[in-house]
Amino acid sequence: MTEPLLVLENVTKNYGAIQALRGISFSIGKGEVVALLGDNGAGKSTLVKIIAGGLEPSSGRMLFEGKEFLAKTPAEAKAAGIETVYQDLSLCTNVDVVANFFMGREITRKVLGIPILDERAMEAVVGKALASAGTRIPSLRTNVEHLSGGQRQAIELNRFVHWGGKLVLLDEPFAALGVEQTRRGLEMIRQVANQGIGVVIITHIMQQAFQVADRIVVIRQGVVAGDVARNKTSPDAVINMITGETLAGAGPAG
Amino acid sequence: MNPRSRKALEFVLDNLVWFMLVFVLIVFSIFVPNYFQLGIFANIIEASSVLGVMSIGLALVIIAGHMDLSVESVAALSAMTVGILFCSSGIGLGIQLSPQWLMVPVSLLAALAVGGIVGALNGFLVVKLKMSAFIITLASYIWVRGLVLVISGGRSAQDLAPSIRWFAIQRLIGLPLTAWIAISCFVISSLVMAKTPFGRHLMMIGGNETATFRAGIRVNRNLVIAFVLAGAIAGLAGWLLAIRTSGATANLGTGLLFNAFAAVVIGGVSLKGGVGTLPGVYAGVLLLSSINTAINLMGLPANFTQVIHGLLVLAAVLLDAFKQTIRQRLA
Repeated sequence: MTEPLLVLENVTKNYGAIQALRGISFSIGKGEVVALLGDNGAGKSTLVKIIAGGLEPSSGRMLFEGKEFLAKTPAEAKAAGIETVYQDLSLCTNVDVVANFFMGREITRKVLGIPILDERAMEAVVGKALASAGTRIPSLRTNVEHLSGGQRQAIELNRFVHWGGKLVLLDEPFAALGVEQTRRGLEMIRQVANQGIGVVIITHIMQQAFQVADRIVVIRQGVVAGDVARNKTSPDAVINMITGETLAGAGPAG
Repeated sequence: MNPRSRKALEFVLDNLVWFMLVFVLIVFSIFVPNYFQLGIFANIIEASSVLGVMSIGLALVIIAGHMDLSVESVAALSAMTVGILFCSSGIGLGIQLSPQWLMVPVSLLAALAVGGIVGALNGFLVVKLKMSAFIITLASYIWVRGLVLVISGGRSAQDLAPSIRWFAIQRLIGLPLTAWIAISCFVISSLVMAKTPFGRHLMMIGGNETATFRAGIRVNRNLVIAFVLAGAIAGLAGWLLAIRTSGATANLGTGLLFNAFAAVVIGGVSLKGGVGTLPGVYAGVLLLSSINTAINLMGLPANFTQVIHGLLVLAAVLLDAFKQTIRQRLA
């Protein structure tokens, strides 16, 4: 593994008496794709939210690029270089594609010291980004509410590819995508990783995990139940880790 | 449908309320005697200045997905503050400043500050306590009006200082300056909403607050600013109201809130947030005002206005639903 980008040390999260995370430790290297697997309710989404700044952990610590890191808000995580694609899409359907793409990062020019949206510049950037990803959307000025689920997810994916950053978290990014778009999405992930960006992808689909990930981390009941290189394990072994037939921390099953 | 006619149709849908306004004006001009006069049209614009300004603030907050019921009471409090400070009879203190014109910025600042403070309080409570803006501002609607009664003792202030009154008397191209103030408010706020990141962010917060938070937009800060703006703009409306009536009474502006709501809804702003433009709201305000004028000219009892406004709001909501279906078919 290359130099670690993000290290989690014994991160926990309690909701009252319920322990959603009972101590998660793992790390992600630069340019590495980690697939995060686990059954429903294992704590995957909670973990993503903690890294992305939506939730604060109850205890434990995180190191980002070797420094102590805790994002109180998504804005802080973003400033540090962490991009997130959430399971429930984060689009404002009442505005157009361009506005969504640039949400919170609008290109402006100053007129009399007042920032004015530079629509033309933004539209050009979005057009280029979508075209290079092979996403076809009839008009970038249509409000997102009029687009299909697949188109919406494509916007989200293109958005993270464009903004990049240092670490990308994907919470079931392909749920609404078709076969061809999923293939393209997986390619995108590889591309992003090749630029030296760390990628964490949560998925339910074993095949996707094995297609794209360098390493597979399995979470069960709030702890890491397995952390193995992809080429040293098999789907069956991983399923055993998810369901709990293998002991926590067990190595490759062959 | 070819792109051209599609674009034309979208343009009509986006500006439907303006077309309605033109349609109503034409109908009234034909059927209501003496309606078609420049003086009448000027009067329509003039009569809508206070309501117009108040509707801007309300629209901003509603577009951001919240609600401000306190605008009417805030306007009354600002008007009463200006009245008490600068009126010479009734409960007015009749403060004189020299030079005379200094009273204009001072009274304006007082009105804006009163509104801004109430707005800041509303915004703070909504954002920090995460309580429904409806309840918080309903409370403000009540206690601010109560405060007006307390500071006035139920009495009124008359004879506003002439240098402030000047704005209602001095005319520019047939319209008093107060009307121009309202128009420039609409122009400025429309530009802010359409062209600046702040306006864009308010719109997106109204659409999906979670998404904007995740995207790193400072949602709370933007919302507090929106509430402060709504309060300050209501304060400005109160200043205009004091000028218009040359003073202030304890029940000044009662009922304006519902007209403002009507204007905002007719103007195409969705109460669910995230939808609507300010030029549309201005058209809504003008539409209400032209109907009022027609009712006056026809000599109908003024009580009819309320019935018609109510029906108009219903029509606006139905129209909005209809627009949605057309748009969905377009996409």
